[in-house]
Amino acid sequence: MRGKASLLGALLLAAITAVPALTAGAGAPAVLKLDDKIESMKRAGVGPVNFPHARHEKLYKCADCHPKIFKEKVNTSDISMKKNMEGKACGTAKCHDSIKAFPLFQCVKCHTNVKAAR
Amino acid sequence: MTIKFIRSFYLKVAILLAFALAAGLWYSAPGRAAEKAPAKILDPTDPNSILYLDTSGKLAGTGDPNKPASLFYRAGQGWHPKALAESTLPKDKYGLINWVESVKTNMIRPRASIDPKEEEMPPMELDIIIEAKSDYVNDVKYPHWIHTYWLKCEICHDTKGGAMFIPQKGANNMSMLGIGEGKWCGRCHGKVSFPLADCLRCHTVPKGAKK
Repeated sequence: MRGKASLLGALLLAAITAVPALTAGAGAPAVLKLDDKIESMKRAGVGPVNFPHARHEKLYKCADCHPKIFKEKVNTSDISMKKNMEGKACGTAKCHDSIKAFPLFQCVKCHTNVKAAR
Repeated sequence: MTIKFIRSFYLKVAILLAFALAAGLWYSAPGRAAEKAPAKILDPTDPNSILYLDTSGKLAGTGDPNKPASLFYRAGQGWHPKALAESTLPKDKYGLINWVESVKTNMIRPRASIDPKEEEMPPMELDIIIEAKSDYVNDVKYPHWIHTYWLKCEICHDTKGGAMFIPQKGANNMSMLGIGEGKWCGRCHGKVSFPLADCLRCHTVPKGAKK
């Protein structure tokens, strides 16, 4: 009896965890490498962005970002710091220009291999 | 029976009309119009006025404008954040007071010094273009004017423990990374002056716009 109950619990837990994983972010890798402007990034002393898609999936619905803010194929949305600073892309007033998320000037939070002067 | 009905019917109509007229008059009375739109001006005679709170938020007013509020007075006539927020001073996109705009529009005129003998240095008119290293980020137009309006030259150029900014073009290898960590502009911005997150207040010159 007890074994049955725990088995049922395990199945239920598996179902709960599997359902959102199957429905949300289907096909998207956990981390996206954003490097379409790598030459400019090099001049600015920063490396590519490793965008944690999985972490954002946990916080938001697909439709919050796609397709209005970002296209669904990686490196096709023409994201730039200029756009971010103008309140587009990552820097919208609900995201990285709000108290909900870290601000845009914290380079190392997104960019890898940061070698800028400090 | 019929006469009685008509009589009461007309009476009812008359009473209703009278009520409607009274309600209309009351609604359009000048006193009511004033109470519908409360004035944004702070009343200094009101003892609960936020102007009479001290810097710790405690009530400090006497309600009598002829008798200075002693506690408030002793608190160095500190500006209470709530009173500032209620003021009509211009604000930035985050709702913080835009002090630059307040100065430029002559809304405030702070004294140069508490010492009346101290001579005021006129602000220096010199804009510096600081090129952004990225191809996609606007360059920065740094205005000496507003900075020398508030501060003396030595604060940045002869800072204790080493100059914050070497007064020579290209001598300061600035980066947003360092600024975010509290170097260069980050010594003040985000602490006592507008936050670094307000990118476009400094990054104003689009790439290729200058000669």
